[in-house]
Amino acid sequence: MTFTPSIFDVRNLSYIVNGQNILKNLSLIIKRGEYCAVIGPNGGGKTTLIRLLLGLEKPTSGEIKLFGVELKKFKAWYKIGYVPQRVSQIDTNFPANVYEVVQMGLTAVRGNSKEKGREIIEASMEKMGILHLKDKLIGELSGGQRQRVMIARALVSKPEVLILDEPNTGVDIKSQHRFYELLRELNINEGMTILFITHDIGVIADDIARLFTVNHSLLTCNNPKEAVSCEAMSKLYGIEAHAVYNHHHHH
Amino acid sequence: MFEIFQYQFMINAILAGTVIAILASISGSFMVLRRYSLMTETLAHSALVGVAIGIISGLSPLWMAVIVALFSAWSIEFLRSYYKLYSDAILAIFLSASLALAITIVSLAGAFNSSLFSYLFGSILSVSTADVELILGFGVIALSLLAYYHKELYFIAFDEEVAQVSGIAVKRLNFMMVSIVAVIIALSIQIVGTLLIGALMVMPTVSALRFRQGFVKTVALAVIFAQASVLLGMALSFYLSLPSGATIVLCILAIFIISLLVNRK
Repeated sequence: MTFTPSIFDVRNLSYIVNGQNILKNLSLIIKRGEYCAVIGPNGGGKTTLIRLLLGLEKPTSGEIKLFGVELKKFKAWYKIGYVPQRVSQIDTNFPANVYEVVQMGLTAVRGNSKEKGREIIEASMEKMGILHLKDKLIGELSGGQRQRVMIARALVSKPEVLILDEPNTGVDIKSQHRFYELLRELNINEGMTILFITHDIGVIADDIARLFTVNHSLLTCNNPKEAVSCEAMSKLYGIEAHAVYNHHHHH
Repeated sequence: MFEIFQYQFMINAILAGTVIAILASISGSFMVLRRYSLMTETLAHSALVGVAIGIISGLSPLWMAVIVALFSAWSIEFLRSYYKLYSDAILAIFLSASLALAITIVSLAGAFNSSLFSYLFGSILSVSTADVELILGFGVIALSLLAYYHKELYFIAFDEEVAQVSGIAVKRLNFMMVSIVAVIIALSIQIVGTLLIGALMVMPTVSALRFRQGFVKTVALAVIFAQASVLLGMALSFYLSLPSGATIVLCILAIFIISLLVNRK
């Protein structure tokens, strides 16, 4: 059996801003093919955790490894697809059609011929059901359509892990359901590792394999037994926890 | 009617103006989309410090403008990223401070004269053949860089953080972009003038944006608008003996107003 490094390996991570402990001594490991959600109260450090994992903030102390490589030396960013929180706040006047936005995801991947690039971009749009919107401006789309454009952009470099920050802000309920179906498909059919932040635990409960509760430090729920203590913790943080179940996916 | 082409200075001005219109509108698009329009105004004022140093020291005002604009651009980027100061506040500080410094330098030297006036508002008479060569030389380098990195710069303008996470060297490219803009501005001030060059970088793009197209078409429109207003503005400057910067900016203003009227909502 060959050794496959964890996708994320975080040890004793702390992040202090202006004397405030945003994250304290947090450790976690996410392995290939896992389907994980991060929940926690506002201001508890969920987004900060993701930003640290992506190198957008520098930790005060601690160690982060991506695919077994120290964050500072990590170069294979095409392996990570990222959908930021701001999907609903896109500048609607920005001169970009759907094709141009999805194409951005291939920018850092040099070496594809023009034809090959177009093929890859159109395949990603097809998968997200937005190929017919190709020439539409991003500002003309609904929240759900924009979300699919952003995911298509994240998927176009064929990443091994997909990170989404509160992806359903400003998206209607029907699109949200389609969205969770899609995540499940990507996880099961393509073995993609998924990590997303949400406050929407009711909807995701049945699918997720692991649930991280982040409120300055970390409580991990790996199995139904732990979900009990998770529930207690969630109550402590003022989150409805009764809908939390945990299932492992078997691939 | 074609007497305009009988003068060498006019041919120089048209050549330089054509290159500047292309460069200013393309690089301006990225600045506008990044909400960095005021950067162009600020760097123009910094370039004026270089001009002032050039006028009193006898060194080339054009080269001094390039050097000071570059220094200023790098300082602004450094303050923005290292100290995380508010971008618009830094720009306001640099803008006023540069103007103050430039005016002080020229006043101390007693050089407040028509030569300075032409740098403030542009003059088609002031472009020498050596200047045209410099502008053409730099134009080729800047256009090549912009063409090679246009996808990266576009991604950064749309979403800097996602661009960074996708592996794009955002800091290095930001640095390159402001350097290119600094040099373009410094080279443009003879024709358009320090007080007016900001308009040539910003207004073509803002006008083009009104037509609600994708990125490639928007930039193409911006280039056409800039080119039209530079050529028309220089012709007006020639026939009416007006400062070229002012006539160019009034032409692009007319295009902007038309674009607002044509594309309501």
